[in-house]
Amino acid sequence: MKIEQEKNISFDALVVGGGIAGGEAALNLANTGFKVLLIEKDLSLGGKMIMLSKVFPTLDCAACITTPKVSEIARHSNITIYTSSEVSSISKIAKDNFEAIVIKKPRYVVIEDCTACQLCEEACPISVSDQYQYNMVGRKAAFIPFSIANPKAAAIDIDNCILCGACEKVCPTNCIDFTQETEEYRVSIKTVILATGFKLFDPVLIPRYGYGVYKNVITSMQMERELAPTRPFNTVLRPGDGKVPDKIAYVLCTGSRDATIGNPICSQICCMYSIKQSQLLMGALPMADVTIYYINIRSFGKGFEEFYQQAKGMGVNFVKGKIGKITETEKGNLILRYEDINEGIVKEEEHDMVILSVGALPNQDASKLFKGEELQLDQHKFIYQSDLLGSPSKTSIEGVFVAGTASGPMDIPDSILSAGSASSEAISYLIQNK
Amino acid sequence: MEVEKGKTAKYLRDKREVSQDLKDNLKIFNKIKKEILEALKEGDLTIDQLTQKLNIPKHEVVYYLMSLIKYGFVQTGEVDDMDEYFSYKLKK
Repeated sequence: MKIEQEKNISFDALVVGGGIAGGEAALNLANTGFKVLLIEKDLSLGGKMIMLSKVFPTLDCAACITTPKVSEIARHSNITIYTSSEVSSISKIAKDNFEAIVIKKPRYVVIEDCTACQLCEEACPISVSDQYQYNMVGRKAAFIPFSIANPKAAAIDIDNCILCGACEKVCPTNCIDFTQETEEYRVSIKTVILATGFKLFDPVLIPRYGYGVYKNVITSMQMERELAPTRPFNTVLRPGDGKVPDKIAYVLCTGSRDATIGNPICSQICCMYSIKQSQLLMGALPMADVTIYYINIRSFGKGFEEFYQQAKGMGVNFVKGKIGKITETEKGNLILRYEDINEGIVKEEEHDMVILSVGALPNQDASKLFKGEELQLDQHKFIYQSDLLGSPSKTSIEGVFVAGTASGPMDIPDSILSAGSASSEAISYLIQNK
Repeated sequence: MEVEKGKTAKYLRDKREVSQDLKDNLKIFNKIKKEILEALKEGDLTIDQLTQKLNIPKHEVVYYLMSLIKYGFVQTGEVDDMDEYFSYKLKK
């Protein structure tokens, strides 16, 4: 590993995570004159939100909200962004001073020189699963992550590259550079905001739902991609055989409110994103029947109940039922065996596509970052908020604040509010310790 | 050591071995790509028809066919009378 010790690398704030919460927090700090280092482990800013089709309850285009904000973050003179980077450790070296070690992985492309012409993509002979389309389609090893990625620049997936050099030969700006190496930075900062987000539940952990075995059982994030303008298919299709589905089921609380898989809490977003997707499906496939199997519909936010009633009015069928098992027919249809909670009997219903509304799990990565101080987690392994009612962004370490879903499941407006709170606390902390 | 711009792949090739698995995956992709494109030369086909010609599982046909659409080799044709299955054709 090449150790790059930048002599004067110091910032007022380190923001870990370049999703919507981390980006918002960084922007607030930068707008008030503080220098921010924003660390994102992925190739692009935007987190999970940038991958969504539309948002509830307004049905606004997610990309139309995310991309201007991400662009503002990327262009801000007070924000330095490291993508493909991770913080390996943070140590408190004085009362108001931290030292972080940041590992920056090579992209094998000089971002500033790349024009995103995609000629390297065309030339690359490799095809592997596209993680940004949740593996429903392929991508090249020389690739632009997705069309609204920021930075909009190519990257080389070195683990799947055969080093044929075809990308280099066609690159008009010579921006591909296989000599790049991993770099390590030692960074001095005064405050830290943790915006490490959440992880999606992997439904393979509930084998009775058949995810991964039955090809027409997909996750809600896969359906989100199918509904997005930059979708993997020409329209909504079954991945198992390319059929346009006409009887679609949603299974709510997949990996939420389920102590048997270790996550007893509500993920707070699944009811509403499923209702949102059902409305989008009714628009994309006007002849389709959509059924949502639920335990309780939690339409608690501003405009949520009206949004739920709107879905009912559009013809979405809501069944209060707990799914026991899914089995597959010869034609690739799915039989859902469920307990009808209102009637108290077990029923079966056939659908031709099933969407598992997967829940939000804690991302525990941040807890391992700190040396000499303990970043406490709550009982559900989200970052512990030491003064939940008075100062909800405060963590167990003075000078370290939490933003967004790193502290618990929440929707996009609440994530942005939480980021506002975290940045305000951080600004106050910075001013008090001047 | 100064490496000439535009010729840096060789630099890493000398330092890093490319696994046999990667080479095998490339062969599989090229084989399926060739078979799909050859089959579509004869005319528009549905996924079901392609599955019968290629003798690989339907979900794999969907995956590879959609990838070839993304890469610009294939395009979507007409949908059938039941609005259920599309046909696919070579991109001209």
